[in-house]
Amino acid sequence: MWLRIIVWGLCFLWSTQSIAADNQLKMNTDRAKFNYQMFCQGCHTPDGTGGKSVPKIKDHIGYFLQNKVAREYLVRVPGSANSSLNDEQLAEVLNWMILELGGKSVPKDMKYFTTKEVGTLRQAPLFEVVEYREQLVKQLSVK
Amino acid sequence: MNFIDKFFEKRARTVAQLSNRRGFIKGVAASLVGASTIPLLPVARASETPKLPQEAGDPSSCDYWRYCAIDGFLCDCCGGSYNTCPPGTEMSPITWIGTCQNPVDGRNYVISYNDCCGKTQCGTCLCQRDEGDRPLYRSDKSNDVNWCLGASSSVYHCSTAIVVGIAFDEGSSK
Repeated sequence: MWLRIIVWGLCFLWSTQSIAADNQLKMNTDRAKFNYQMFCQGCHTPDGTGGKSVPKIKDHIGYFLQNKVAREYLVRVPGSANSSLNDEQLAEVLNWMILELGGKSVPKDMKYFTTKEVGTLRQAPLFEVVEYREQLVKQLSVK
Repeated sequence: MNFIDKFFEKRARTVAQLSNRRGFIKGVAASLVGASTIPLLPVARASETPKLPQEAGDPSSCDYWRYCAIDGFLCDCCGGSYNTCPPGTEMSPITWIGTCQNPVDGRNYVISYNDCCGKTQCGTCLCQRDEGDRPLYRSDKSNDVNWCLGASSSVYHCSTAIVVGIAFDEGSSK
């Protein structure tokens, strides 16, 4: 009886660890926050509310993880793709923004941005953003 | 289920043997008294970091440390202060952000240069220090942009310099 419980327990532990290994979050929170302040906050405002023509990040950014094209948009948007941050720090600040400002919009099984993914996607920056974004948002379901 | 019964019986007997009935009350009382004395102990109170940066200098002078990248009229001379707008103007939520070093503690702080908008140019205390200012193609790091574009009126009046955080130092982090 005891042996059976122990074996099951070990199997469970092993399975959860192997899932987590594929989706690990490497983040220096202080650096991510500083980069948000230096490169994003000026327009997106301290809590991500935005204003006028600046899109709202707060409680919304997580919806963009619902499909591949929308996920890629977060990296290809000029503020991300053309920023002076390197790939590692861009991935970090994007993950930080989603977790810190995303609120209820963040999916429970969020897949974190990786340095490699960001490095590839930012090679194709968007030139036209406003209409592209409008089309994307129509495909997203908002809670 | 036999092993569960045995297990709990054994635990209950161990607890009964090792503790007395009023022990719990004694423990709570001791921890209450103990916890209340902790704030009285002289534990490195000096290392608590102040929430606001230490100050030095005159906020109505261009030399003041927060203005290291300013380009415009100081709100401090126009009826406002280094972090508030004069009456009758609106602070633009959209702004540009840089860092300045505080001479008192030697640390770099993140400064948000929010413009005050809605009235014609203030006209006093014109400062142009431009440290870290970048050309317009790096618009988020340029002070030549009229940042009143984020306010309801795009007429520029004066500039503030608000500390919004402490700069991240790659060298001192783990």
